[in-house]
Amino acid sequence: MTDEPELDPNSQQAKEIAGKSPMRIALGRLARDKIAVVCALFVLFFIICAVFAGPICSLFGVSLDTPLASERVDGLNSGLPKPAMGPPDGPFTWDHPMGVAPRTGQDNLAYWLHGCRASLMIATTAAIVASLVGVVVGLLSGFLAGTVDKVLSFFIDMFLTVPFLLAALTMAPILNERFNTSDNYGTIQKVSLIVILSLFGWMGTARLIRGEVMSLREREFVQAARVIGMPTSRILFKELLPNLAAPIIISVSLMLPAFVALEAGLAFLGIGVTDGVSWGQMILDAATPLFFREYPQYLWQPMLGVVALVLSLNLLGDAIRDALDPKTRR
Amino acid sequence: MFAYVVKRLISGVLVVTLVSMAIFLLFWYGPSSPAQPICDRETSNRCTQAKLAVYEKTLGYDNPVYEEYGKFVKGIFIDRTLTIASSEYECTAPCLGVSFRTKQPVKEELISRMPATFSIAIGGAFLYLLFGVPIGVAAARRRGSVADKALVSSFLFISSIPYYLFALLTWLYLTITFEIPLFSDTGYFSPISEGPWKWFSGLLLAWVALGIFGCTQYTRFTRGAMVEALSEDYIRTAKSKGLPARTIVYKHGLRAALVPVVTIFGIDFGTLLAGTIFTERIFEIQGIGWWSLEAVYGKDLPVVMATALFSAVVLITANLLVDIVYSILDPRVRLS
Repeated sequence: MTDEPELDPNSQQAKEIAGKSPMRIALGRLARDKIAVVCALFVLFFIICAVFAGPICSLFGVSLDTPLASERVDGLNSGLPKPAMGPPDGPFTWDHPMGVAPRTGQDNLAYWLHGCRASLMIATTAAIVASLVGVVVGLLSGFLAGTVDKVLSFFIDMFLTVPFLLAALTMAPILNERFNTSDNYGTIQKVSLIVILSLFGWMGTARLIRGEVMSLREREFVQAARVIGMPTSRILFKELLPNLAAPIIISVSLMLPAFVALEAGLAFLGIGVTDGVSWGQMILDAATPLFFREYPQYLWQPMLGVVALVLSLNLLGDAIRDALDPKTRR
Repeated sequence: MFAYVVKRLISGVLVVTLVSMAIFLLFWYGPSSPAQPICDRETSNRCTQAKLAVYEKTLGYDNPVYEEYGKFVKGIFIDRTLTIASSEYECTAPCLGVSFRTKQPVKEELISRMPATFSIAIGGAFLYLLFGVPIGVAAARRRGSVADKALVSSFLFISSIPYYLFALLTWLYLTITFEIPLFSDTGYFSPISEGPWKWFSGLLLAWVALGIFGCTQYTRFTRGAMVEALSEDYIRTAKSKGLPARTIVYKHGLRAALVPVVTIFGIDFGTLLAGTIFTERIFEIQGIGWWSLEAVYGKDLPVVMATALFSAVVLITANLLVDIVYSILDPRVRLS
């Protein structure tokens, strides 16, 4: 990013290049990438759904409230919704645009929107925390080198050998045992999920940043800063950090889809968010042979949510990586 | 080389020790009392303070934590006897504790669950390579063609979907919607007592799902490595010598390209051996992953602890082996 190609300052080409920051070049490239634009629109849609989950729900007149189940579902028909409630047996109805859940009769649209909110909120928070930890560890270990680097690298390697899923699995019964009687068990679950995701998600960023810092450390501008007696913390955050914007953006954008998928996956295993609202939980509920055979839409709604969000975040992440990489001139 | 292996072994043992300490501490300080789950279970949720104290005392939870950790480590090497309330349980070395639910030694149950997980891992990993490498080679040979582009983008698409959703859809559609008889009875059946065919058909669907999903990564990787290898000078030399295309691609190109693939494969295989939780949960295969999920639902802390330790040990061993094999395969890599 830092080394601009040397050009004759009077040439036409140089005048065009002048005044364009690397970020603006990257943004321009992204805007020209059709897949990236489509994916960004998808992601924007999900963000709007998540942020305005409440207003959209009241717009459609649906809510998260648990209704009297017998009003909406047919107990004799293995708990499937009554025809008046829309699919699978009845026609589409504006009262419940996405139908109601079998057995409980909860509104699918409201649960879908709030599931989207939970998913994005957990994934975003965890990605921010994990990146912060990764950046700090990577900066310190790459810049200070020596013993600090050895110790931090050992911890990076150690955390890499512990599989995330098992760590989550190990924590789940303990948290459940300790807090399941607590009033805000749902909040505790979400917070601990964020903690676990960030605890086992920072290593990739740390490694990436460490490598970058190790090469930047030997560059002239850092040496110059050292010579004029700049304190280490200032060199780290004022000199090095701005040069690390690209790897940080890339690692966050690739972390997000992984965390969205993991959050839903844990809920699907019954160890993530278990008493709140989550796409993973909806999938778990809908993936029984009976419901799937009679009412496949019930599975498809949360499933499409997860797949579309993860897919568009993944492809957008790849596009961002390409756009920020000065080597891929297209 | 030898010095490197010793160094890696020492750091591996250090990591295992730290991980086991972390897990032990987690189970010691995490729950309101480490004896709470078993007390609830034994007294059908009527655990009083006095009863809890009895369990804590017999399980040694009233001792300092380092003393109990010492006993736990000692139990891995020497037989020990565990006391839960009024009954005693023999636990032969390596002792990983006694399950709160079944009262069986955890080690024996772990061993009885291994064949299922290992079957999935070996079959799945075999398919990774069987599909991944040839498709990757074929794509690299036709680089830039329509078939190559279609393959790369469709595999990118598949690998962007979360694995468990892919597996879940495979299971739901093939066994429930289309009711394909071959896949109707998924699960683990012992090849000795129930016959190899039953074993094969029970695991086939899990292998296919795992193989198709996992091979996308290998295809991309092999393709990349092959494209790089085929542009090397020695390939041009081989071509100008007039060697047949088959020899050039497979003998000169693939051998060089396979080295990084082997590294990834080693780690992936280790990850599979350490636990295939989603696969086992979706295809109802009663292996280690299924068992650890059951233990989580039943708050069977010794089992959860044992599975976590087991997979950490497997992964660390896999990492070590991969590094050593890598140095043998690629003489340019110097270990230090």
